[in-house]
Amino acid sequence: MNCGDGAAYVLGALEPDEADEFRRHLDRCATCGAEVAGMGPVADALLIAVPQYRPPAGLRRRVLRTVRAESRRKQPARRRAPALAGALALALVGLVIAIALHGSAGVKVLHARVLDSTATADVRLTGGHAELIVRHLPAPSEGRIYEVWLERPGARPAPTTALFSVTASGAADVGVPGPLTGTSEIVVTQEPAGGSRVPTSEPVIVAPTG
Amino acid sequence: MMFRAPFSSRAAQLRALTDEALMERVDHADALAFEVIFDRHGGAAFSLAYRMCGRRSTAEDIVQETFLSLWRRGGRYERARGTVRSWVLGAVHNKATDWFRHHTATSGRDMSDDEALAELTAPDLTDREAERRDEARQIRGALGRLPTEQRRVIELAYFGGFTHSEIADMLELPAGTVKGRMRLGLIKLRLSLGDLTTAAGAVR
Repeated sequence: MNCGDGAAYVLGALEPDEADEFRRHLDRCATCGAEVAGMGPVADALLIAVPQYRPPAGLRRRVLRTVRAESRRKQPARRRAPALAGALALALVGLVIAIALHGSAGVKVLHARVLDSTATADVRLTGGHAELIVRHLPAPSEGRIYEVWLERPGARPAPTTALFSVTASGAADVGVPGPLTGTSEIVVTQEPAGGSRVPTSEPVIVAPTG
Repeated sequence: MMFRAPFSSRAAQLRALTDEALMERVDHADALAFEVIFDRHGGAAFSLAYRMCGRRSTAEDIVQETFLSLWRRGGRYERARGTVRSWVLGAVHNKATDWFRHHTATSGRDMSDDEALAELTAPDLTDREAERRDEARQIRGALGRLPTEQRRVIELAYFGGFTHSEIADMLELPAGTVKGRMRLGLIKLRLSLGDLTTAAGAVR
């Protein structure tokens, strides 16, 4: 009774229970097996038969930024050195450009680690103060808010007064209160509205402070 | 950009490698090798996602998720399924189909608010890309030559994510007719594409 469903199966047009049934049928029916084997490559070919566009530049940038950040973390220290030197050189270039442009203290922008793979976060350091620039971050769950913490080596994360949500597109620019002296990282967690004194959830963003 | 110069010769070397050789490097967290992979297949992935979802932001999310999953898998992507390209396009197709099942009921598809997208034009293409685009054009041509009623059910199912019974309701046809048209259409495509399907199945 399933003979003839091969095309609908290959195109993903069967209901889930029908597809299960057809898979069982395939074990028994050589004719359908051959038909599906012949149609599979046609279906694969159809995947490229759509108008071709260049991927938007922002998409490429977001993907590769995450990839580069994860690559630095995955690589052994030995191989990290050139990357770090590169990042340092880049930061230096940034500093020189910033000084040249503004004639004032340098601005340093560092990439933050983000748990949610669709989101991005940078930290912008200016004269000992930090601003967190968040994009594409999902809104916090109902009744909750994002809270910013400062990490110092060997100490518990210190809460800050910075509590934030995001715009409809997931954006937020958040000034991080307090001097950064002695801190190693800026951390963001999701907390009950009003904030917490100790983090109650896993970090969603971890940003370096230097 | 001046600080990219030292990498450019390495990038050129990487661009000469096959996908399989690049994926071995990706296994060792080589971000530059992955950049080449993205540039080779990001366009086809985005185009498929955009064709299926009709929304630029959703298409971008799907492509981002697919490529980050490929990056994190490294060499463990399912080689059995064939090439990197077929893995990527298969993953995009699955994600877009999932997206339909969850979203079309509540949100209609709308292309009107999208910014203009840059269509790939000849001078931008490398030889290999041009070859692929040629394949894509032939496949599109073969699809276009199918009788309208066959093409329509294939497109609705494959790019629209509709099941055969949904299509039957939509077109007011008996369920058996819809399945029959799909079958006739795919058999015809298989004949008219001939060797090309094996080539396209093995797209690198």
